[in-house]
Amino acid sequence: MNPPSSHQPPDDPGIKLREHSYDGIQEYDQRLPNWWLYTLYGAIVFWVVWWFVHMIAGLVPSDGARVDAEMAKIAAVKMASSLDVANDTKFWEMSLNGVFVDAGKQTFNSLCIPCHLPSLRGKSENPTAVGPDLTDTAWLHGGTPKEVYVTVSKGVVAKGMLAWEPVLGQKKTAEVVAYVLSHHQPGEPITVEVAK
Amino acid sequence: MSLETRPKVASTRHAPVRDSVTTINADGSRYFLYPADAPGRFMTMRQQAAYGLIAIYLLLPWIPVNGYPALFLDVAARRFHFLGLTLSAQDTWLLFFGVSGLGFALFFLTALFGRLWCGWACPQTVFLDHVYRRIERWLEGDAPARRALKLAPMSAGKFLRRAAKHALYLLVSLAITHLFLAYFVSIPALWHFMHAAPGEHWGAFLFVFIAAGILYFNFAWFREQLCIVICPYGRLQSALTDDHTLVIGYDACRGEPRGKLRHGGGGLARAGSGEAPASSLAHGELGDCIDCSRCVQVCPTGIDIRHGLQLECIGCAACIDACDEVMAKVKRPAGLIRYDSLAGFGGGITRWLRSRTILYGVLMLVGATVATFAFSTVRPMNFLVYRMTGAAYFVSPAEVRNQFMVRLVNKRTVPATFTLAVAGLPAGVRQTGFGVPVTLEPLGESVSPLILLADRKDYTGPFKFTVLVQDAGRAFTLTREVEFMGPDARLLREEEEEREHEEKTREEKHD
Repeated sequence: MNPPSSHQPPDDPGIKLREHSYDGIQEYDQRLPNWWLYTLYGAIVFWVVWWFVHMIAGLVPSDGARVDAEMAKIAAVKMASSLDVANDTKFWEMSLNGVFVDAGKQTFNSLCIPCHLPSLRGKSENPTAVGPDLTDTAWLHGGTPKEVYVTVSKGVVAKGMLAWEPVLGQKKTAEVVAYVLSHHQPGEPITVEVAK
Repeated sequence: MSLETRPKVASTRHAPVRDSVTTINADGSRYFLYPADAPGRFMTMRQQAAYGLIAIYLLLPWIPVNGYPALFLDVAARRFHFLGLTLSAQDTWLLFFGVSGLGFALFFLTALFGRLWCGWACPQTVFLDHVYRRIERWLEGDAPARRALKLAPMSAGKFLRRAAKHALYLLVSLAITHLFLAYFVSIPALWHFMHAAPGEHWGAFLFVFIAAGILYFNFAWFREQLCIVICPYGRLQSALTDDHTLVIGYDACRGEPRGKLRHGGGGLARAGSGEAPASSLAHGELGDCIDCSRCVQVCPTGIDIRHGLQLECIGCAACIDACDEVMAKVKRPAGLIRYDSLAGFGGGITRWLRSRTILYGVLMLVGATVATFAFSTVRPMNFLVYRMTGAAYFVSPAEVRNQFMVRLVNKRTVPATFTLAVAGLPAGVRQTGFGVPVTLEPLGESVSPLILLADRKDYTGPFKFTVLVQDAGRAFTLTREVEFMGPDARLLREEEEEREHEEKTREEKHD
């Protein structure tokens, strides 16, 4: 025996049934629970206040402004700790500093030796090596410390050398340059030859 | 009090109807329920299940497996530990199997057993029925006592009882949310957080206290509104259940027509109910239901199960226990309200094997198989081979070159050493990079270049090769297939021929 079917008038005469019949289905017209209604009203009020505070009165910084502020903070930290990478003398000093050179050597050995070889001699040692000799005085892209830094940090995309500064950051790139320069002397002759 | 003289507050004052929700009054205000106690075998079994589940919830963060808590979702370090299996961010794709697997299991189990989850395992029921309601029962007494307390004027006693109850509610809510945080930061970190200033970890602090507030509000007041209005799982039932799904119901065939029990004679003499004319009902032709409304008094969602299967019914089986208790007292067989399918209540047989269950079952098995296979590919390390930024390949006079970066991730808490090898290279292709094994610190990663150079003389075009990483200690290998890209070999040969031709003409000019 099944319970009685539901298209009968409601058990409680206080419950309203709407007139219109949608293919035999009539809608009830009962009140939503108050907690639901007041949550909805509260949400609407919240939205109006929020919109006003953010968009009209500008009392709270907009999302774009907050992102800019965070980015400025990051840039400030970067600037405060950035090295003067246009200063040749500084680089020569770094190349004499054991701590810098050791750190640079670690980075070099983990990233640079497949092409430039552990001895840094590249093509001079093995003609099939990918990278040129970093210990001689012949440079393809400029031999002063700041030019070497630019080469490492911006790479040589056409030849396959990665731009390393976005990967390593300024400090590690400078350390690697210091390591390379530790195989050179300040004031040595520099020959810039552009390969064919 | 005997059954007849017990005040029938629920059945006369706010009798459930099919057309509206009992707990929502006509003016929108909340009709707060005071469900009566319903001890019985289902209550006992549910209690045991609930305490077991609570124990699991409490203990899981404390039990170490493979050096990590049994379930530890370390969001900060992006490592997720499940019973000794560590997944890193790169393994997020496995979440698909987790979600779809749960989905299929849900479909399958619901098609067979209906709302078993709601009444037995859902945290709402587990915490509400077996923790919060027990606190309430202890401090405020049984249903009539609680109702009386609500109506009573404020007094010192009432205030103290209520204050103690709400204080305990808050304490339990805070305990639940603090432990929830432990699943994400681990117990030692939670302990440290609790001793440190909130300012050091605003996010966690706000989360725990807001969540505790929500839980308190939910378990102190909101209660069944969540099950009826908010929870989507309850609504999915109508799609997932059919006439052969196990539900809790009232056996109308046996119970109707109902009639009040009248004591007299041997015990089974019954009086007709007021509405039906006495002449149409012969003695002894009434159903087993004596209209005591006990099933209504114990219902935590405020329905009358005798109206049939309803949305509000969460399958807590309180009405089963209540009716069985009454049936025992009037010496009739139990099971007037019981677990059965709608087909069963109609007098038929429940068909467990039907197209719906077979289909869901097959889907679940397929999903489980694929998930097992997917999870079996997880290793204590990850590795990734990707092309270096820049051109896909570089051509020099002697060779064609591809540049890759290999990223190795050590997921374990001990250092690990890996060797990398390349297989499947055609003649004339050599590799530089990864000549020596790589040692990674615990939870460490490294990115290193791998360069492949193909001799132009032997170059025949792009090819696929395999990179293998082998773990020194654990004897497992991971492989990745990578493509070596390069120009069409014919273009290179044409270029060679052109160059040789140029050289020859230059030599001839010299001569």
